[in-house]
Amino acid sequence: MHQREILSTEIVKKSKNKSKQLDFDPLPKKIIETIKSREKHMCFKKKGTDSTPQCNKSSIPGAVTQRSCVYGGARVVLMPITDAVHLVHGPIGCASCTWDIRGSLSSTSQLYKTGFSTNMEEKDIVFGGEKKLLDTLIEINRLYQPPAIFVYATCVVGLIGDDLKAVCKEAEKITSTRIIPVQSEGFRSFNKSLGHQLAGDALLDYVIGTSHPPSSSNPFTLNIVGEFNIAGDLWGIKPLLEKLGIEIISTLTGDSLVEDIARAHQANLNIVQCQKSSNYIAREMEKRYGIPYLKVNFFGISDTAYSLLSIAHFFQYPQMISRAEKLIENERKRVEDSIKIFQKRLEGKRVAVYVGGNKAWSLIKAFEELGMEVIMTGTQNGLPKDYKKIKETVQEGTLIVDDANAMELSSLLKKYNPDLVISGAKEKYLSMKMGIPFCEFNHDRITSFSGFDGYINFAQDLDRAVSSPVWDHIKKPLKAA
Amino acid sequence: MSEVKVTKRDRNVIINPLVTCQPLGAMYAMYAMYAISGISHGLPLVHGSQGCSTFVRYGFSRHFREPSEIAVTSLHEDAAVFGGRKNLISGLGNLAARFHPDLIGVVTTCSSEIIGDDVNGFIKTAQEEIKDKLGEKAAEKIKIVPINTPSFVEHHFRGYDNAIKSLVDHVTLDPTNSNDKINIIPGIVNPGDIREIKHIMAMMGLESIMLTDTSDPFDSPLRPGATQVKPYYPKGGTTVQELEDSSNSLGTISLCHYGAQAAHSLEKKYNVPSVVGPFPIGLQNTDQFLRNLKNMTDSDIPDELLDERGLLVDSMADITSRYLFGKTAAIYGDPDMVTGISRFICELGMTPQLVCTGVENKEFVEEMKKVAQEANGIVEIMYGQDLRALEVQLQEEPVDVIIGHSDGRLIDRDLQIPLVRVGFPVYDWVGYHRVPIVGYRGGINLLDRITNTILGEYYDPVHWKLQQ
Repeated sequence: MHQREILSTEIVKKSKNKSKQLDFDPLPKKIIETIKSREKHMCFKKKGTDSTPQCNKSSIPGAVTQRSCVYGGARVVLMPITDAVHLVHGPIGCASCTWDIRGSLSSTSQLYKTGFSTNMEEKDIVFGGEKKLLDTLIEINRLYQPPAIFVYATCVVGLIGDDLKAVCKEAEKITSTRIIPVQSEGFRSFNKSLGHQLAGDALLDYVIGTSHPPSSSNPFTLNIVGEFNIAGDLWGIKPLLEKLGIEIISTLTGDSLVEDIARAHQANLNIVQCQKSSNYIAREMEKRYGIPYLKVNFFGISDTAYSLLSIAHFFQYPQMISRAEKLIENERKRVEDSIKIFQKRLEGKRVAVYVGGNKAWSLIKAFEELGMEVIMTGTQNGLPKDYKKIKETVQEGTLIVDDANAMELSSLLKKYNPDLVISGAKEKYLSMKMGIPFCEFNHDRITSFSGFDGYINFAQDLDRAVSSPVWDHIKKPLKAA
Repeated sequence: MSEVKVTKRDRNVIINPLVTCQPLGAMYAMYAMYAISGISHGLPLVHGSQGCSTFVRYGFSRHFREPSEIAVTSLHEDAAVFGGRKNLISGLGNLAARFHPDLIGVVTTCSSEIIGDDVNGFIKTAQEEIKDKLGEKAAEKIKIVPINTPSFVEHHFRGYDNAIKSLVDHVTLDPTNSNDKINIIPGIVNPGDIREIKHIMAMMGLESIMLTDTSDPFDSPLRPGATQVKPYYPKGGTTVQELEDSSNSLGTISLCHYGAQAAHSLEKKYNVPSVVGPFPIGLQNTDQFLRNLKNMTDSDIPDELLDERGLLVDSMADITSRYLFGKTAAIYGDPDMVTGISRFICELGMTPQLVCTGVENKEFVEEMKKVAQEANGIVEIMYGQDLRALEVQLQEEPVDVIIGHSDGRLIDRDLQIPLVRVGFPVYDWVGYHRVPIVGYRGGINLLDRITNTILGEYYDPVHWKLQQ
């Protein structure tokens, strides 16, 4: 913690010292009008209070939740594995609405962008889908010979009781390729975090540790866990690590190949970027293979710097530490120079963040470094420990919300009127209909925000969102005369 | 002389699906939701897992670039064991109390269908509870329509059909006096297409009841002061009153074969004459649409519409012989749109060499065989197929241009055959939901789109100035 503070004070103090006046009562009795049981799901960070909202409860039926299902949670974690087949065992819809919808980039195979479905029909529901699944797996193997086929269970599979594991085992015998059951029946939980964990289990039980090439001669090896290479984020991180002399064994799972993940157990360290989805994998790998892990964050200058230094300190190699310090010094100067122009226009702008998980805390500092004020942050699927992390990261007076539904979001935006909303596709157009600028920070993102260069992109994207002249046009409606 | 070859998928696995549906297993309901979204102050309530609503909303947002509010009953493991009664009843109660909708469409999914929930019974109970909570008058204003859409039966077009039929069966009242209107079941088309249909009818002095009207809800103005956001209700859409009134119409025209159920239901129950098809794209199909309107209403086709027709013919004369004649096309997607576009392709002197739909529908094959008689060459008809099958076939026998939605963009890139985007979804180019391809004016748009694609791909820009 000590180093982190030194590194970040310089930039963060600007915004701290200002301690802007909040233009709303920091602790109103009711934050917004909503269903009674939902009131505790939002709170302000305030000294002397717990400052974490109630969370991890099932959504209220009919409330228009922004949440997804367990299958969705599993798929986001595994889908970036580029040379694997991702087969959805269920009616056609589960595949057709979700194939190729994640902005994870690949430097090699494009197979992961293909949508596979067993297309379960009425007769399969009546007689069971096991035979069809087995035939399908054999067929896919004949057509593509992939190094692995992930088989995702959907609601229907759980309801009719197909034995996914048994079929996968049998298919594996016939095809001699890895056939991996993912028990991600959509209805298993209201929280898609379970899907993340089930995806982790699939990797831990069926992929990691299944390949044993000669170990690297480089003593400084690691896996990047919970980095999905959205818009090429990974490619903003990798070169930084390589400059320190580190060899990356595998990424879980952005731009990864099955073979790399299969030998992930050979790494000396795991670094975890998305701590929402992937802490579990890192913890389990520590248990199973004794690989320690570090939580990192490559969004923002000081967090990127801190992460690089932590990694260098972990390996206790003086040369690496000095390399890291030098790299950070140069990059910091370069980045600060390049973002000045954006910073000027972004300073003082008030931001509302509402995302799936990790970004609700990992982005906060990045905004503060630009002199922006995060007035609200929240997640769809946060757990108590996630909100603890959020509470520790945000400034006094920030509103923290859990599982805000469509109506609550519009009420919150209307009441607190931020200058910018950071969220995903479902929230994007609502925010804009209210005349509030929006910046994508989800599967749809097309610009990399990671590492130093990513931070410049980040600042530029925010500036584009906020400074577009269209928002002035809204404020100046047509006058009749 | 034309020749036809028909092939069906010969493997189990579906690779890059051509039939879409609601996420998480409800093939039908996606378009059931689509239809409900076209009701003024209407809300879909999906009785299923959360993903079933989330991924559909995501898909709509990508295509229309508009918000879409879809509620879900959040079925979880306990519901799988004990049934979804509690979820559906409280879901309806919450929606009614918080959103004050005019209509809620309860869309079932694979989960609720397999669990075997008595949706009709639950709705009755919910209505009683809503009455207790909000009072009789407020409760009566909220129509609740069950829409059975088991995702594992057939395809998303059936879901659209089921939804429209359920609306008509549950909301439409017994006829009183003729309203001199025509019911139109537009099918899964874009806001621009619906507006074009309305334009044609307005030119003929006719009023319509759209079943349902997604044009304004899915293409709405950004006017913060004038938009209702708490909850978000876009302007427009078919009103409940219009639905009730649809039995008083002079007739029903379903522009798509998969909208026939509701049209037939109105005919059977209320003697509203019905016509199914054709999808009014290109010259002859739009002609037929106008004839259908004329026959139902006895109104004349005004000179202005003949001018619009003339403009399309003029564009065809300007362009076809120079750039399009003899060129080959592959067309995929929605069966009615594919047959419609194929016919237009024939009208342009091109050959629809390969047509492909994900639907296993013999009717499609029969329709295509008819169209193929107008074609100048062999037409290969693929049905119950997917994009991978299309790609493999195109590798063997390439065409000059592909016409279909955005999911074929990688075929364009990999095979170097340009893709003209039409239909749903188009997420990679902008504005396509706004620009019609139906009617004479839509025909001009599509003709220009195809021609410019061919110009850009096959003609040297050095000579563009010479190629007027």
